[in-house]
Amino acid sequence: MTMKISTIIKEWVPNKSKVIDFGCGDGTLLKDLIKEKDVQGYGIEIDDKKIISCIKKGVPVMKQDIDMGLDEFESSNFDMSIMARSIQCLRNPNLALGKMLSFSKQCVVTLPNLGYWRCRLNLATGRMPVTPDLPSSWFETENIHLCTIQDFEKLCEDESISIKHKIFINQNKKEGLLSKIYPNLFATEGIYLLEKE
Amino acid sequence: MNTETKLIKFEEGITLESGNHLESFELIVETYGELNKSKSNGVLLCHAFSGNHHAAGKSEDGSIGWWDQLVGSDKAIDTDKYFVVCCNNLGGCSGSSGPTSINPQTGKIYGKDFPQVSVLDWVNSQKMLSEKLGINKWHLVIGGSLGGMQALQWSITFPDSVNKAGILAAAAKSSTQNIALNEVAREAIRKDPNFMDGDYSINQVKPKDGIKTARMLGHITYLSEKHMDLRFGRRFQEEDSKVSKKVDFEVENYLQYKGEKFSENFDANSYILMTKAMDGYDIAQDKNTLETNLQNVKASLLIVGFYTDWLYPPERGKDIQIAAINQNVKSSYIVLSGEHGHDSFLFENEKYVKTLKEFIESK
Repeated sequence: MTMKISTIIKEWVPNKSKVIDFGCGDGTLLKDLIKEKDVQGYGIEIDDKKIISCIKKGVPVMKQDIDMGLDEFESSNFDMSIMARSIQCLRNPNLALGKMLSFSKQCVVTLPNLGYWRCRLNLATGRMPVTPDLPSSWFETENIHLCTIQDFEKLCEDESISIKHKIFINQNKKEGLLSKIYPNLFATEGIYLLEKE
Repeated sequence: MNTETKLIKFEEGITLESGNHLESFELIVETYGELNKSKSNGVLLCHAFSGNHHAAGKSEDGSIGWWDQLVGSDKAIDTDKYFVVCCNNLGGCSGSSGPTSINPQTGKIYGKDFPQVSVLDWVNSQKMLSEKLGINKWHLVIGGSLGGMQALQWSITFPDSVNKAGILAAAAKSSTQNIALNEVAREAIRKDPNFMDGDYSINQVKPKDGIKTARMLGHITYLSEKHMDLRFGRRFQEEDSKVSKKVDFEVENYLQYKGEKFSENFDANSYILMTKAMDGYDIAQDKNTLETNLQNVKASLLIVGFYTDWLYPPERGKDIQIAAINQNVKSSYIVLSGEHGHDSFLFENEKYVKTLKEFIESK
C-alpha cells in the first residue's frame, strides 16, 4: 500500500490539539487536520503565494523564515510541532529541534535519507546524489544539512530526544520489508514522532 | 457603485474613556453598495489619523476617496458584494462632531474644548452607528495605521460583532518614536502665532503654517527612504514651479505642496486631538497585557505589515499575532513589499489585493 506522509502525520496528531506546522506550504495538511481532527492549527511559511493559499483556505498562517530562529514561540504552548521535509534546509537543525520540543509536547519530523543506496551509489561513482527524492543538483539544492537515518537517530540520542514512533518509506512510497529492516540503506524517507525525554 | 452620504445624529450622547460626556453627537457617514437581507455583508472601514468618511469614489467636489484604489466595484473590498461603511471619526474635522462643530450646550464652536477622544471611544461610537444601521455583526472591520488599531480594538471590545478584522500597517500600541514624531508636529502647530492656545477660531485666524509644517514632517514618515529616492531623487525643481520659487529640490516642492493643501482643510485642534488619541493607544503595556486583551477575541484576524514601513514596522504586527496564537485566536500575518512605506496600505498591489480578497472571501 502506498503511504502518504500526510496520512501518517494525521494519525499521530491528537484530536482537538494545538498544532504548528513549520513550512506548511499551501496549508493542505493543516486544512485537513482542522477539518478532520478539529485541531487549532497554525502554519509558518515564507513563500507569499503559499501564504495567500493558506489565507484562502482559512488556515491561520504566519510569514516567517524558520531559519531566522523560532524564538518567537518561546512563550507558546503547542501539543505538536510538524516539520515535514524542512529540517535539512535549516542552518541549525539541532537547535531548531530542541526549540520545537521546548514549546511543544511532541514533534513530527520527516527527512530524506542520504544513506539510501542510490545516494551511496552516486557518491561511489564520484558524484553528488541526485535521486527522485533529492532531485536538485548540489548547486541549487536547498538541502544544506542532509543526513542519514543513522545520523538523525544519533542526534536524537545525543540531545535526549526520544523516538516514540518511526516509519520508513522506500522509493515506491511504501513501507517495504527491506526499508523496515535496513532503513539506513533502503528507506528514502524517515518519519518520526519525537518527544523530549 | 451606489454611494450615499448621511449625517447621523446620536441624541443619546456618549461617555468617553476620559470620563467626559458628550450630550449628543453627530457622525458623517459614507456608504457604498447595498446591505443584504440578512444584514451579513457589512464592511466597516476605519480611517487613519487624517482620513475621513470619503473612502471611495469621486465626491461632488471631485476629490477621490482615500482608499479608492482598494474599495469599489470589483476591487479588493468589492462594493458589488459588500455594504461598505466609513464614518469620519469623533473629533475629526470633516463633518462629524469635533473641535470645529458647534457645542449644543453653549451654541459656540467647541474649539480646544472638544474633549479628548480615544481609539476605544471611536469603536464605541462606531458600534452605536452599527446599531443605527441595523448591523449586529460586521463581516469585516478593517483599517490601516490608526484605522488598524480600531479594527483590532473592535475585535476585543465587541467580539460577537466582528466576523473578521483586517489590521494593516498597525500595532498594539504607538511606539516611543511615534509619540516623539507626533510631538514635533504638535509643537509646530502650537508655536504658530495664529494658534492662540487653540482659540484661533474665535479670533478668526488659522494656524496654517503650523499645520503645514506638521504635515510635511508627517509625509516624510509615511514614505520610505527608497521610495522618496526613486520618486524625487536629487532632481531640482523646475524654475516655473507654481508652489514655491524658493525651493531647490523636487522633494521640497512636494512637501510644500502637500503641506499647503492639507493646511487648508485640516483643523489644528483636531490634529492635536487625533495624534493624542494615536499616542494614547496601548493595549500591550507588556506581553501579558496584550494576551489578556486578546483572550476573548472571536474574529479571525488578518495582520498585514510592509517591509518599507518604518513608522509601524511589520514586527509590531507579528507581536499581535504571537499573542493571538497564544490565546488560540485564529489569525494570519503576512509582510508585503509595498513601495510607499507606511502609506503602502493605501495602494493597490497585486499580492496585497489578492491577500485581502482571499481573506474577505475565506470561510
